[in-house]
Amino acid sequence: MKRFAAGDIVQVLALGKTGHVRIPHYIRNQIGRVTEYCGTYLNPEDLAVGNTAGRAVDLYRVAFSQRQLWPDDVIPQHDTLVIEIYDHWLAPAKETPNAP
Amino acid sequence: MENDKGPKGYHDVGGDPAGDIPMADLPWLHWEKQVEAIRGLLGDGTRRIVSLDEVRRGFESFGVEKYNTLSFYRRRLEAMTDILIEKGIVSRAELDEAIEAGKLRWTDVDTPS
Amino acid sequence: MPHDQGEHEALVIEDEAGNIEAQIVVDALQEVLIGKGLLTALEVTSAIAKLESPGIHLGAQVVVKAWTDPDYRARLRSDGRAAVQELKIPVTEARIIVVENTPELHNLITCTLCSCYPRSILGQPPSWYISKAYRARSVREPRRVLAEFGLDLSENIQLVVHDSNADMRYLVLPEPPEDLERFSLHELEALISRDHLIGVAREVA
Repeated sequence: MKRFAAGDIVQVLALGKTGHVRIPHYIRNQIGRVTEYCGTYLNPEDLAVGNTAGRAVDLYRVAFSQRQLWPDDVIPQHDTLVIEIYDHWLAPAKETPNAP
Repeated sequence: MENDKGPKGYHDVGGDPAGDIPMADLPWLHWEKQVEAIRGLLGDGTRRIVSLDEVRRGFESFGVEKYNTLSFYRRRLEAMTDILIEKGIVSRAELDEAIEAGKLRWTDVDTPS
Repeated sequence: MPHDQGEHEALVIEDEAGNIEAQIVVDALQEVLIGKGLLTALEVTSAIAKLESPGIHLGAQVVVKAWTDPDYRARLRSDGRAAVQELKIPVTEARIIVVENTPELHNLITCTLCSCYPRSILGQPPSWYISKAYRARSVREPRRVLAEFGLDLSENIQLVVHDSNADMRYLVLPEPPEDLERFSLHELEALISRDHLIGVAREVA
């Protein structure tokens, strides 16, 4: 069942998967905060190879500090980015000074 | 290190440097709607022949040159066709035959440059 | 042949010959699929009609209803899909998330991987939304992107970018004009543009 709740700090994994994935490169390894649980959905990695019988996976929306994503850029401290991450791409993480 | 984030597809452009936003809002052409309609029908609950994620896998494995040469709906059309061929639902030969017949019909009314 | 507009492959468009070729290819595919009994010409025609019917007018209806009915606004914020369907708008997306602008906060919607968009409500995304330039830059330098659209967002206002990379689709609920009561519902709907609902525009007036 669902591993995370709104407010939890999580890290996006870099699973090294080839083929069709929906977790963009720029967000991998980043630490953010869960804002919302979105329910379960068929895994696009299964659907992409025609497998519609795979297990449904939990999906979360996760917020990240823009300053943390783009450390070389000048960005207002409160700006954030929110993106959807499937459960198998997430690990629990510790609070960082930059988590939104 | 950038490379410890795993593979980055050429379609995965978030954060990449790029030029000005092209402030275009072009009309949606008939063939583009037709591509989208057929894709929707092939993926609907009664058929489940080709899913959107399969089409995405298709154009994500074109190779960057082909991806960057084709327009948005042409990518979808070609990828959908590749998946149909991969699954043995249609063959390249029968499609090519239908395309040749279509070209003949077009040249009867107009001569594309 | 298709060609690039500009050096960054910002937007690949077909020229006339490319459009004719594409029409021939999609007709051929349709003909082969019909020959195999997998679909009918009538199904394609009616699917095209369904694709053509949504548009900004539906998004504008949703926004004006939310501005003028606080209970509806609450329902829209908690379950966007159900609230949109209340207005007899058929929604094919799994979930619609409505993000609300406030005096302190502005939302911007993008899709960096392809061009996900709440199509069953707003119809076809504008060409710039599917351009590489918008997809690439909207997450990294969204304030510069907004400036290109003529919106200079104050640094005091928090900017939240939503990358619709998976199953959710997003709509921005803009702030109502200050003198809301002066307008009829119809007039209010006419004030709302697609840019407001994506977040590249802010003030409705």
